Amino acid sequence: MHAIQSVLVYAVVLGSLYLLISLGFSLICGVLGIFNLGYGATFLVAVYGMWMLMDTFGFGVIPAIVGVCVIQCVFTLTVIYYPIVKRYMEKEELLLTSLLLVSLIVEETVNHAYPVTAGVDIPTTILTGTFEIGAVSIPSQLLVVVVFAALITAFFVIFLTKTRIGFKIRAVSQDPEAARLLGVKVEGVYALAMILSVLPPTVCMLVIAPIWAIEPTLGHSLLQTAILVTILGGLGNLRGTVIASFIVGLIASSVAFFTNPRLVGMAILIIVFFVLLFKPQGIAKSETLW
Amino acid sequence: MVRIEHKRALLVVRIGDKKFEWPIETRYWRNPLLGIVCLALLPIVFSGQPDLISLFATANIYACIAIPLGWQMTGIGRLNFGPQFFVGIGGYTAALISVHFGWGPWETLPVAVCAGLVFGVMFSPLTTIAKGLYFSLVTLILPLIFLEVTYYFRVFQGETGLYGITPLVMVDNIKTEYLITGFLSLLMLIIFLFVVHKVLTSRIGLFAAAINDDEEVANNLGLNIKRWKILCFVATSVMISVTGWFAAHYFGTFAGVTYLQLPFMLKILLMVMIGGRGDIYGAIYGAYFVVILEKLLTVFGTVHYILFPLILMILLFTLPEGLYGIYRRHRYREYYPTIRVRKR
Amino acid sequence: MLLQLKGISKRFGGLIAVNDVSFSIGEGEIVGLIGPNGAGKTTLMNLISGSLKPDAGTIGFNGHTISGEEPHRICRRGISRTYQIPRPFPDMTTLLNVSVGVFCGKKRSHMSLGDAMLDASHCLEFVGLFGKRNMLARDLSLFELRALELARALATTPRLILIDEVMAGLNQAESRRAIRLIRKVVEEYHVTIVWIEHVMKIIMEATQRVEVLHYGEIIASGSPHAVINDSQVVEAYLGEKIA
Repeated sequence: MHAIQSVLVYAVVLGSLYLLISLGFSLICGVLGIFNLGYGATFLVAVYGMWMLMDTFGFGVIPAIVGVCVIQCVFTLTVIYYPIVKRYMEKEELLLTSLLLVSLIVEETVNHAYPVTAGVDIPTTILTGTFEIGAVSIPSQLLVVVVFAALITAFFVIFLTKTRIGFKIRAVSQDPEAARLLGVKVEGVYALAMILSVLPPTVCMLVIAPIWAIEPTLGHSLLQTAILVTILGGLGNLRGTVIASFIVGLIASSVAFFTNPRLVGMAILIIVFFVLLFKPQGIAKSETLW
Repeated sequence: MVRIEHKRALLVVRIGDKKFEWPIETRYWRNPLLGIVCLALLPIVFSGQPDLISLFATANIYACIAIPLGWQMTGIGRLNFGPQFFVGIGGYTAALISVHFGWGPWETLPVAVCAGLVFGVMFSPLTTIAKGLYFSLVTLILPLIFLEVTYYFRVFQGETGLYGITPLVMVDNIKTEYLITGFLSLLMLIIFLFVVHKVLTSRIGLFAAAINDDEEVANNLGLNIKRWKILCFVATSVMISVTGWFAAHYFGTFAGVTYLQLPFMLKILLMVMIGGRGDIYGAIYGAYFVVILEKLLTVFGTVHYILFPLILMILLFTLPEGLYGIYRRHRYREYYPTIRVRKR
Repeated sequence: MLLQLKGISKRFGGLIAVNDVSFSIGEGEIVGLIGPNGAGKTTLMNLISGSLKPDAGTIGFNGHTISGEEPHRICRRGISRTYQIPRPFPDMTTLLNVSVGVFCGKKRSHMSLGDAMLDASHCLEFVGLFGKRNMLARDLSLFELRALELARALATTPRLILIDEVMAGLNQAESRRAIRLIRKVVEEYHVTIVWIEHVMKIIMEATQRVEVLHYGEIIASGSPHAVINDSQVVEAYLGEKIA
């Protein structure tokens, strides 16, 4: 009984975590139609940007958070969007290689400047202590993750369905040519989508930093999870991503509790492989953004 | 009676009744014979410096991964982002059997081939069912998952990897051993080059080009797409596993961290891109370039980890078609595949 | 009867593209398939050649049932098609394009590339593209692309060729050349042709029989003259008032 409770609680927690990780990736897939393999760099820039502002430049917590958001947007636009994505939109193999290269460069730079032993400590703990749900006690910070995941998803959904810009984004995600003919500034929408996509990782990293080990190689495993969740949910479909992230969260927590945490990656891959065999589109029903 | 005639670029040898023709490649930088002679001279020239011979062998091993990849990229019509998965399969099979059962390299070779075959067949449905993008993504993740598996099962010895693998030859003199293994790597390169070249200039190469260009039309023209894709995938996976086998026995150790992570994949990808996508001769140039660049950059100390991808990125920007692109502007009509990753 | 369609239907979601179509084609005939835009002609072509599977009904070819088979098997049985918007292999030369087709010919699937290229040269010469055999397919003009499509279809030694709107975009002189070419094909290769076309003049001149498709159903069938004067056909194309 205790095990089932733990599994369910951690399924929700892990699901929210994976949701925050994958939401941006799925948005880029849907709107731009590319794979941002440099997505791992986003996480690193968030954490290490914060650390750099606080440690090297001596900012306070709130100014540093603002600063990190600015750095993220600037980084995404000037390093990822303009030089690489715009140039190589049609030549996909060059696009993917360059994005991977960017991710690698960022990782090595971070590793050089702040190696693992530097002791990165980001004081963004909002809730301390542990929280009791039934017989399970989890760190309260993880509850913050769940809350933020819900908030950000709600924000995205409302933004995409109720605002005019969101409408334009959805149009571009379905058919950029037609949207262009109707007067939508497709390039602007792409840039906006890229900026929107870095919001969940930044929030995720800021909230999770106090309780996770921060090292320069975390980009890889996060990118891996994002890819698997997005594939399962159907590329570019936010509803599918939401459902898929909780399914993956459930798989991860059950495998971790009943067998071994190390087998989680393999279990997720096997499940995704089998889903792809029968439903090559992923579990989502439609090809649109929401 | 053996008679040898020499017409412009063709060497005709008549033995009795039979006639053998051998076209001489006039483009000197693409002439395989000339290239092999040059490459064969390298270890002899550097026979005094084993680390340079080791570099030579590494470059050959990298090239041996890129050469079958050249066939695979067109033959399945999709970009495979995880060829190092099969390097890991071949290498770990060879390493495990060698370490635990003490078998020599030539006994583990068939086992490595079988392992490559089994896993190739197991993952071949990916080529037929997954849409172009999914295939690239899943192959991207496969080596990472394999790496986690190696961390989990203690038999793989996680980060340190397996060591004590039987070397390829055992001679008393270290220098001779290095020379011989260097030449063995060159031999493997030549065999791979020969096999893939013969395949690509035959009807199978034509089918690969047709599948890459337009799958549906090829299907309507009577080409059994599934059969050829699966054949291509399995054959190239076996070849890459053999490369893994060689790497395991050459270096004596095999660790997943070296081969299964993203930096290595990036090296392979860059070799292929710089050499000219899918061109097997260009892959050799790309391999040597990457290996020499990496060695040169170590002069700068730990910064070289940053410099290496940076320089490669600049190279990609300026030479989008790789070194082959420079040639291609003069020779427009040879087959130059468009690599499609996303097929909407 | 070479080709027999019985009760073929295909729907895409809520749209019924082809609705209970039945007709037969005898050996050696040239049959035209006409109809206003959106009538389902290309869908029917896709169904016969195997790119789409019919929801209901059967297609019989030469005594075998081919509905539901894979496209490459249908091609090996002897049905070839051309495309309305030419789809050559863009990065390959013309000669190689046609060589891909040669490998589908019956009992010749194990020939070497050199032999296939020889056969391909014959096909190219037949359509008049031999001089352009080393040009990349993406550099050809529209007429040459259509000729290439035809050569590629011929290289598969078909018994039935489905020709999809070969005249679209060609000027007068090119149209005449195209008709002569297709007549030559029928004479020398003895193939049966199902021809989708919009240009009525061609239909009148070249075909022996016409089927008319409208909203996925056959509304008329017979000789070209009879069909053109059929009131239902005129209504389908031009509207009720004119009929």
